Amino acid sequence: MNRKRLNPVIVMAVLITALLPISCSWSGEAPDREYSNTPRGNFMALWTIMDEHYCFFDLKKDKLGVDWDEVKTRYAASISDDMSDRSLFEVLCKMIGELRDGHVNLTSAYDYGRNWSWKTDYPANFSKDLQERYLGADYIIGGNGYCYRILEDNIGYLVVESFDKAMSDSRLNVMFNNMALCNGLIIDIRDNGGGQLTASESLASRFTEKKVTVSYTCYKNGPGHNDFSRLHRNELSPAVHDLRWIKPVVVLTNRGCFSSANDFACIMKPLENVTLMGDTTGGGGGMPMSSELPNGWVVRFSSAPTFDADMNHVEFGVAPHIRVDMKDEDVQAGVDTYIESARAFINDKLVNF
Amino acid sequence: MTDSSRCSRWLSSVLLGVILTAFPLQATARRIVWDMPQYSETVRVTSFLAGTVHARDTYLSGSSYDGWGVGFENDNWTGYEPEKLFSQGRMHSDIVFGMMKNPRNGGSTMVFSGRDYAGFMWHALKYSNYDFLVGPAVMCELGVLYNRQNSNNPVNLEGYAGGGICIDNTLRFRNLGYDMAFLATFYAPLAGIGFAPDYDQPYFYMYKYGEYGKALHFISPFNNLVFTQQMALVLPIKESRLRVGFTVDGIRNRLGGHSRFMANTMFTIGFGMRYQTKKWDR
Repeated sequence: MNRKRLNPVIVMAVLITALLPISCSWSGEAPDREYSNTPRGNFMALWTIMDEHYCFFDLKKDKLGVDWDEVKTRYAASISDDMSDRSLFEVLCKMIGELRDGHVNLTSAYDYGRNWSWKTDYPANFSKDLQERYLGADYIIGGNGYCYRILEDNIGYLVVESFDKAMSDSRLNVMFNNMALCNGLIIDIRDNGGGQLTASESLASRFTEKKVTVSYTCYKNGPGHNDFSRLHRNELSPAVHDLRWIKPVVVLTNRGCFSSANDFACIMKPLENVTLMGDTTGGGGGMPMSSELPNGWVVRFSSAPTFDADMNHVEFGVAPHIRVDMKDEDVQAGVDTYIESARAFINDKLVNF
Repeated sequence: MTDSSRCSRWLSSVLLGVILTAFPLQATARRIVWDMPQYSETVRVTSFLAGTVHARDTYLSGSSYDGWGVGFENDNWTGYEPEKLFSQGRMHSDIVFGMMKNPRNGGSTMVFSGRDYAGFMWHALKYSNYDFLVGPAVMCELGVLYNRQNSNNPVNLEGYAGGGICIDNTLRFRNLGYDMAFLATFYAPLAGIGFAPDYDQPYFYMYKYGEYGKALHFISPFNNLVFTQQMALVLPIKESRLRVGFTVDGIRNRLGGHSRFMANTMFTIGFGMRYQTKKWDR
């Protein structure tokens, strides 16, 4: 080894000049495509994000006739570089609204862009006033959107307003314990807009005694419209360490059941002692993801489709076993057609049993 | 126990692992003076980091986020037997936490990252005032980005483990009557295994269906270009040494069909101590 002494100024200068260019070269952006923060740039960013990540293009083309390339051509004509942000927002919301998907939204300070035709184009089949009349004043609040009471004919009536938060196992045990002597159970999920999949599965696991294949799912694994991962079988396992319900169950559904409420209907439908009653659910069978446009607006889209146990899409909803429509004369008489039909169904089942 | 609580426990374990990577592995030692470590000696520098952080992760968002970050790092130089090819070893660990903003929508993103590098150094050039060391290194890194704008896919965790190269320059000089040293280090992984979700693969599905295999990718500088570069000045304070410096870390990758670009530019300040490592075999 050479033990000579080097000139420190020269060595330091060499090291700094050798290393600085490396760090400077990293001040640039990622090599990915980036769109400019202009109306055209934001339009193209939104169209491309949807084009590469949205999971229902083929389904929407079959059922609704939506051709995403044609949509681009049509709406691009409305984009100009001197348009206002508000006008741009309106055009972009209309463009994504073509997909008629409740999980497709654009968020800005102006509004929450949405197309809720999955619900608004259909009869409500739900009256909050009537529901409160059946619950009465002394119903039990289970927490996290769950409330229940025992009706006069010894049938449990459970309202699940939301699946935003899962009810704990111990609270579910208390609830089932309170209704243990009931002849049957009505679960009213009408107008439940969804929440967490784990919350709906946690409740559903109380209604099966064996492992049941309830749905299938996959996710987008590439930018092509048909780039999907392999299908995953979703098996519902019984809550073996907790109280389970083996008596008749009727789940009341309407068009307001969306997202994880739609998933709840989907996974309850194949169970032996469960009957879905009411209207087809609102859908929302794609697990959503989010991204952002160059101007900061947040876009949400469906990226992981769900199929029911028979491999049908549930994006447009889950059909009930028994179709029921709310009757005007019942509403005027203070009677909820759905709840009365469910009570009659359970009582009839008991008689026949 | 629900799926979500199991998932939380699993994530907590990962985060705890990230935190633990920054703590030194050796503990018992005796303090002596500063120089390049001789056989069985260790020079340890523990530093505080503060500077800017930048991230753009297309799994979460197409937007860039900028902000400030702080962290800790721990550097160990160890002298091995001088007759061996790799006569010096260097271990580097750090953790960085940063908060970033997107001024266009007021959204924020948090970053939490940790890494461990272990280099085995060949003393390629040795002058009385300058040492140039180069050698292979084993590296691992984990980085979590939490985008508070995203309600459905707010978190992306990516990382890698692999082998690479480590280059170390130490220049000793005397200035203003004090012995000082200038350090310049460069690390870069060359091959290994990277972890990143497969395109739009939800973490919930990854956990629920156990499909981790799709999230593992072979990495090379072509799809995972990473480097750490440090420049530091070492100043004497009695028997210990004050190290002030500048560190630049960069990740530019494209794994699983989406890209991540992160760059940290940090000023560092820390103390260096020399230890005599206890022999376990004597």
